[in-house]
Amino acid sequence: MANGTDNSELLENLKLELRRGCLIVAVLAQLRAEQYGYTLRKALADDGLAIDEGTLYPLLRRLETQGLLVSQWREEDKRNKRFYRLSPAGALILKQLLEEWESINASLNKILQEASL
Amino acid sequence: MNTSSRDSSTRNSTELIDRYLQAVRFWLPRTHRQDDLIAELGEDLRSQFEDKEEELGRGLERPEMAAILKRCGSPMMVAGRLGPQRHLIGPALFPIYEFVLKMVLLWILVPVFIFIVGPANLVEGGGNWPMAILKTFGDLWSGLFIAAGIITLVFAIIERTSAHLGTEIKWDPLKLPPVRKQDRKPSRLKAVCEFGFGCFGLVWLLLLPHYPFLILGPAAAFLKAGPMLHNFYLPFVLLSTAGLLRSGITLARPQWTWFPPLSELVNSALLLIVLHSMIQAITRSPSAYPFVVLQDAVRDSPRYFKLVAIVNVSILASVAFTWLGVCIAAIVQTWAFLRYLRKRISNREQIASLGAQ
Repeated sequence: MANGTDNSELLENLKLELRRGCLIVAVLAQLRAEQYGYTLRKALADDGLAIDEGTLYPLLRRLETQGLLVSQWREEDKRNKRFYRLSPAGALILKQLLEEWESINASLNKILQEASL
Repeated sequence: MNTSSRDSSTRNSTELIDRYLQAVRFWLPRTHRQDDLIAELGEDLRSQFEDKEEELGRGLERPEMAAILKRCGSPMMVAGRLGPQRHLIGPALFPIYEFVLKMVLLWILVPVFIFIVGPANLVEGGGNWPMAILKTFGDLWSGLFIAAGIITLVFAIIERTSAHLGTEIKWDPLKLPPVRKQDRKPSRLKAVCEFGFGCFGLVWLLLLPHYPFLILGPAAAFLKAGPMLHNFYLPFVLLSTAGLLRSGITLARPQWTWFPPLSELVNSALLLIVLHSMIQAITRSPSAYPFVVLQDAVRDSPRYFKLVAIVNVSILASVAFTWLGVCIAAIVQTWAFLRYLRKRISNREQIASLGAQ
């Protein structure tokens, strides 16, 4: 029983680690089109990558500090919202990250195919 | 949807969100980002409320609003996730911090209190052992807390400053220490030597009552063993026999890897008890328990009085220093035995986990 709990905890931690890097790519990819926080979160959740407020907003701040995103407060529907979009540097980094992702994916597929033989 | 009910719902939601944001703000560090983060979180929450209202086609009830906020998490938890990552000592410095803390507390402070502060308290308290032990423990606790606090503070400062300075720990792979041998078996040569010296020591000890010059040398002509040596002769013979037996078992059963560290520790503990009793006896009544006394032939000769006093004080000093040395040895042996146990347990766990796989 305790072993089962340990394993599920371990799985959760490993999933979290796996998701961490993917989330950055997903956020950058989503922000090729301008969005504000809530719609971005919804879009990610609709595509199967749910992310809570406490994770997304610090991540957006960090990406903005790193110069990968630009943001501005703007009024929409009589409410102030902060809109984010990819910066030119972010677009370049996203392109490189996607290439890396493709390469990792190809390697993993190859490893998994070899293992199943 | 009824307009007045919608308005009332909006008022309620705004009030609840503001209260929630105020609570989050309380836990957030007051930086230039605080307002920004709170505004953005507020906007997110309002959007969530609106979405839910659209989904239900009516204004939200207070329990429904509370459920959304509850899903977001407690204000303290949300602030913790929104705020900057805060730690006193980061993962890069932590192993060094842990090492320094162990070194200072266990290997410097504890021995200093046991061997210096403790005896000093004993002398100050006029030989009152319970009071001296209590006072030493009290002082030790305060010392440990203060030292740990200072070390933590220094490392926290290094953590902050090194992050700004961008300094890196310099290291050279070629200068790393060589691989240590794992699972050393008890040395056979050491056991043989111990057995040999043990035999010699026991024979020497058994011959002492008949040939006092073996311990007193030429002074045996005018000195002889006093009540102290007579009283503690048997415990020393027993300890010596036990030591001989110990080396014999180590030689005969080298596969008993647990035996040498445990028996060394037990031996040191017994020796400490004997030495302590000797010191206690002589400090309580120095005249009744001298180590050596004058031979009957020279008992009344004043020229030897001073000499016998010097010999007794010298032997007492040797006993006290031996006690100190055995104390240090006992600490080291306890540490070695605990390490041995820990290693054994971890080996067993590894075997069990391999078996489970």
